[in-house]
Amino acid sequence: MKSSSSDTRNKKLFFRRYTKGCPLTGDAAPVIDYKDVKLLLRFVSTRGRVLPRRITGVCSSKHRKLVRAIKTARILALLPFSAT
Amino acid sequence: MPLYETTFITRQEVSLSDVEKFTTNFAKILTDNGGTIVKTEQWGLRSLAYPIKKSNRAYYTMLAIDSPVPAIKELERRLGLSEEVIRYMSVRVEKISKEPSAPIAKTDAQEDTTARPAKVEASNNEESK
Repeated sequence: MKSSSSDTRNKKLFFRRYTKGCPLTGDAAPVIDYKDVKLLLRFVSTRGRVLPRRITGVCSSKHRKLVRAIKTARILALLPFSAT
Repeated sequence: MPLYETTFITRQEVSLSDVEKFTTNFAKILTDNGGTIVKTEQWGLRSLAYPIKKSNRAYYTMLAIDSPVPAIKELERRLGLSEEVIRYMSVRVEKISKEPSAPIAKTDAQEDTTARPAKVEASNNEESK
């Protein structure tokens, strides 16, 4: 426990999650859809990579669906596989 | 019968009336094999996120389909044979919404969705403090 607490203190926090709860869960949450490019872009880095859950705050079940949607959109050239 | 969404991408060189001709042709293949078209959507000329077969822009068409599996198989075979169709994909869906789907629901001004950079971390952090 001691070691773990010191580890977290020393580690630089590049990204912080401020959101409470998953942005894709709840009544008002948007439906994950491979066609909705605008939505998917929120969970993708500028290089086109999927952002980790620790940054986006998406819950694990929704994250799996999100990843599938992003990969589907990539095949249809709606999202890039990699962008420079 | 299972529901599908089949999207296919047609070369830019083809005229828009030809794209609609293809769409009716493919729809006919499907109905001949016992399927039904629930919805047809023309997303129009969109810029691709990456070049496919040397084209950077292409026409998108989506068919929302309620059909048995063999009909979809046949449709996909024909799509693969067509030289004008550069990419196609069928996705099995739970339900098909009546409203126009995301790419055409937005304003027409936002045609180049892929061109603009992704705004990611910054917006996420600001929103929720």
